[in-house]
Amino acid sequence: MTAILAGVDTGGTFTDLVLFQEGKLRVHKVFSTPHDPSQAILEGLQELGALPRLRTLVHGSTVATNAVLEGKGARTGLITTAGFRDVLEIGRQTRPSLYNLRVQKVPPLVPRARRVEVIERLNERGEVLIPLDEGSLEEALATLAREEVEAVAVVLLFSFANPAHEQRVAEAARRRGWYVSASAEVLPEFREYERTSTLVLNAYVGPLIDRYLGQLEQALPAGTGLRIMQSNGGSISSAMARREAARTLLSGPAAGVVGARFVARASGIERLIALDIGGTSTDVSLVDGAITETTDGRIGGHPTKLPMIDIHTVGAGGGSLAWFDLGGALRVGPRSAGAVPGPAAYGRGGTEATVTDAHVVLGRLLPEAFLGGSRRLDMALARQAVGRIAERLGTSLEEAALGIVRIANANMEAAIRLISVERGLDPRHFTLVAFGGAGPLHACELAAALSIPRVLIPAAPGVLSALGMLVADVLKDYVRTLMVPIDQEQAQATIEAALAALEEQGRADLLAEGFAPEQIQIERYLDLRYVGQSYELTIPFGGDCARAAQQFHLAHERRFGYSDPNEPVQVVNVRLKARGLVEPPVLERQPLQPEAVVHPLERRQVIFAGEAGPVAHEVAIYAREALVPGARFTGPAIVTQYDTTTVVPPGWRARVDAVGNLLIELASDGPTDAQQLQQQRRQPAQAAQAQLAEEGSHVW
Amino acid sequence: MVDAISLEIFRSALTAIAEEMGAVLMRSSYSPNIKERRDFSCALFDARGRLVAQAAHIPVHLGSMPDSVAEALVAFDHFAPGDIIALNDPFLGGTHLPDITLIAPIFVEVEEEQRLIGFAANRAHHADVGGMAPGSMPLATEIYQEGLIIPPLKLWEAGQPNRALLALLLRNVRTPDERRGDLAAQVAANRTAARRLQELVDRWGLAALEEHVEALIEYAARMARATIAAIPDGTYRFTDYLDDDGVTGECIPIAVTVTVRGSELTVDFTGSAPQVRGNVNTVASVARSATYYVVRCLMPEDAPMNHGTFAPVTVIAPRGSVVNARPPAAVAQGNVETSQRLVDAIFGALAQALPEVVPAASQGTMNNIAAGGIDPRTQQPFAYYETMGGGMGARPGLDGLSGVHTHMSNTLNTPVEAFEYAYPMRVTRYALRDGSGGVGKARGGDGLVREIRFEASAEVTLLTERRRLPPYGLQGGEPGRCGENWLYRRDGEVTLLPGKAHFRAEPGDRLVIASPGGGGWGQAPAPAAAERT
Repeated sequence: MTAILAGVDTGGTFTDLVLFQEGKLRVHKVFSTPHDPSQAILEGLQELGALPRLRTLVHGSTVATNAVLEGKGARTGLITTAGFRDVLEIGRQTRPSLYNLRVQKVPPLVPRARRVEVIERLNERGEVLIPLDEGSLEEALATLAREEVEAVAVVLLFSFANPAHEQRVAEAARRRGWYVSASAEVLPEFREYERTSTLVLNAYVGPLIDRYLGQLEQALPAGTGLRIMQSNGGSISSAMARREAARTLLSGPAAGVVGARFVARASGIERLIALDIGGTSTDVSLVDGAITETTDGRIGGHPTKLPMIDIHTVGAGGGSLAWFDLGGALRVGPRSAGAVPGPAAYGRGGTEATVTDAHVVLGRLLPEAFLGGSRRLDMALARQAVGRIAERLGTSLEEAALGIVRIANANMEAAIRLISVERGLDPRHFTLVAFGGAGPLHACELAAALSIPRVLIPAAPGVLSALGMLVADVLKDYVRTLMVPIDQEQAQATIEAALAALEEQGRADLLAEGFAPEQIQIERYLDLRYVGQSYELTIPFGGDCARAAQQFHLAHERRFGYSDPNEPVQVVNVRLKARGLVEPPVLERQPLQPEAVVHPLERRQVIFAGEAGPVAHEVAIYAREALVPGARFTGPAIVTQYDTTTVVPPGWRARVDAVGNLLIELASDGPTDAQQLQQQRRQPAQAAQAQLAEEGSHVW
Repeated sequence: MVDAISLEIFRSALTAIAEEMGAVLMRSSYSPNIKERRDFSCALFDARGRLVAQAAHIPVHLGSMPDSVAEALVAFDHFAPGDIIALNDPFLGGTHLPDITLIAPIFVEVEEEQRLIGFAANRAHHADVGGMAPGSMPLATEIYQEGLIIPPLKLWEAGQPNRALLALLLRNVRTPDERRGDLAAQVAANRTAARRLQELVDRWGLAALEEHVEALIEYAARMARATIAAIPDGTYRFTDYLDDDGVTGECIPIAVTVTVRGSELTVDFTGSAPQVRGNVNTVASVARSATYYVVRCLMPEDAPMNHGTFAPVTVIAPRGSVVNARPPAAVAQGNVETSQRLVDAIFGALAQALPEVVPAASQGTMNNIAAGGIDPRTQQPFAYYETMGGGMGARPGLDGLSGVHTHMSNTLNTPVEAFEYAYPMRVTRYALRDGSGGVGKARGGDGLVREIRFEASAEVTLLTERRRLPPYGLQGGEPGRCGENWLYRRDGEVTLLPGKAHFRAEPGDRLVIASPGGGGWGQAPAPAAAERT
């Protein structure tokens, strides 16, 4: 009996479990138990009989995220340099919306009464301008004690250049028994507002995560390793997550991208766009061999600078409502019918048309196959809701439903363009990996709009986040602001010294997590910009400054359309990733059955857009379970499974590969007229673009 | 064929292009005003120069971008692929000199032929364009003192850079490397638009694009008419005042008459002061921007922004007045300070028509601070320019926000740590200004306090308003507190500076800027009012 590895994703409604044992993956879903999430986890593991042999559990939860979104974090205090306690509230002095007379700002997580100051000041080189005044420190701590705080963030100006003052303050605060988080420990990076916001988030969710994980550790059988998923797509030990809890915010979506990458790789695909469409929103993320990261994240309106997978979210999902604006245009989202009342077809009192209702009307969602048949969709209610839109449009019901889907698609398409085309990457070289309840419904039409040639639907698209947790490496991120010109004589030495210090810390952290030295992989990066710019590009650093500068010019060219090799380049930050390599499960490959004949469950009328309007096709309906490796079929077709439905439009063909992924490709022998037309038109445009790009390379 | 569905698809596609231009510009430029503070605008125009889409970047350019394209169309009767027109002349399509606009004709290939289908334009506030003071926001009395004036000229011609023009331009500014970088970013933004429009035409065809542009313009006009129709008909008058022009010390009336008739709205500035010597004058396009901004605020938040949006709005700005100055008037502050007062005046009038909608006056200034000199750490010249947020006016039943940019601006602050890396100055305090918001049933937002210590000699210019006449309250709410500018000399001398000031700072001197609070809304319950006095 071999040991079991489990990934567990606790969501609002379901807790998803994925087990890996003896080369096989097992999937299970149980209802979440929000009052004590560990109950559902244990119950699920029990039902799978996994508890006795559980070796490692990798867990992602929404505990931290929900605390922030619902304002239910710890009572937190903030200690700043004298004169700067309001930085957290002022932010960047902007209002969130330009033309809204009733615009509101998200209130800071720490109100003014709990923001205190200590007298001290450093300059940008870390030199002491004003020594730390112990009296002011005592006074600050006394105020926080009176305010009965549970957690404290310490953020002093330029502490990344010299952490001495901050360490002293943090030490004094820790002696009071609070959960203390100091900025030089968590994020030694310049820009005080974003750093403060990050540290406050960390302190705000820290005690909750600390308690939650403490309980979970207790509840699991002794000897079970517990690792926690982070927003950067890697996991960390429970002990570390309890100290740096902000790293776990948004871990669920991150795990989904990791899961998408894992299943795509099993099919030999390295370049993909992950598409996760849920009830209220669509998450998209690009993987070009490596996962794309960002340090410009936000949660509930609060910035966090901790590295996270770059996931772009738009308010378009199955529950998005269709409505008419003042000028009479049909709009879809961002308002959503939510879980209650939900789309009209759910029969829970919703009357407004949603994207889901449009799919029901078009015959793409089968009323009786919803959630494995456990719930029925009400066709009549969906038709009523969409009918009201059609009436106002003066069109047929089907035209209105197609319109709603088209508009939702346009919003989703814009999201994909933003992370690909707008960053200089051509979606035609990528595979669209679709998951979430509604991803596979929209994937092919989105792929067509973006000229993406291939769509991949994983075998278990509903539990991809849990799978991602299971396969994630242990990953720690380190950063340090340097601010040196890259061509300066001492630059190389300064960079190497800073990276060496980070590497030492990284190796020590991973050794403490139980990794052997040979399982540790170190990646080094520089954040570079032209002197005078404000945004950096992160460039891998192999040890040669000149080469890094060269790569920066190329990256700048690709991203912004110009570069200037004569301009001086500045090293803003050094970054380091310490990766503890987890031996990933290998998906079992089954022999393809070339003769496999797949029989549709039935045939139904499904509406697709034709040249002159809606066209009803006679469409084969397949059960996903029946699609064995090697199975092939052509669109139009619908594939149903427990928690999702895949639409294969006319002109596409599908096959199941050896690992069970459903690959859907544009049939190369018969592109539609529209596609041919598009192809012909695109060629001259490409030539013009190439020329423009060339011109752009050296502007002056 | 255009329908309610395809209309939405084209609207979002065109807006996305304007927004992507902005992303390119912001992330690859050098001027703090552009990169950190988003003091720029990006827009698309059709071949006739009608606005097709404009991204929500900064309101002060709302009405003035089309004037730039109009002047380019007057200046040149022929465009070729690869042309880029530059201009900053306020009297020929510009606003004030630091705002340099680059306009690119967009050609797309249709049936193997290059067809002019429109223009991409972007305007960005450069940190310095020469003139009598670093930062090019001086206390001037004629435009020639404010910097280099660029009439509409081709900076690129048929794909070739005009090196002579560029050399002349760069020789006349204090920080030429930055300018070159910023212009490169602006060119890149326009090229991005060209690429995306070509893709759009490839995908949908030119006929469909043109058809939808027409439909979008009509759609925006419909939305605007519906908005105006909801305002009670009538004539509403209001006069607000600028503190002074920095030269004579006299306050300057901005008078406005707003007439609403059905779905048409006219804003008439007749009765406003004649143009003045100091540079608080504006050109007519800024008067239009302020008006359009107010109308836009009354529309739904995501209303489309194009030629139709303001079709039912008429702006009357008498020639030779402070809101439609003639050359060689100085105008640097018109854009940043007077534009705010125009908004205050228009809202003041509309508050009579829409008492439950219109907010009390916000801080009514951008608190411009410019400083320049030589950085002793590098021996290189530096030019710093920044604006400061303040209190937002209270809204009916809702407090005003504190410490934010209001109305015509929404630019970010420079992080203290970024500021100290970049300039030989330190920020020693950055805080909310307690109690500066006007008392009322709903309170005005508080202003900000920013204290700067100079570490090197610097020439400093302050252009600030609402230092003498406070932002008004509405419906019984009290006014917000006036702003204050203090100079603490190293030797202990303390001076309350006027709203507009120019001085030389020495190492160890400290400048304290306190921005105004917003006005209150509605009569405060008695105890709160008592507490205040």
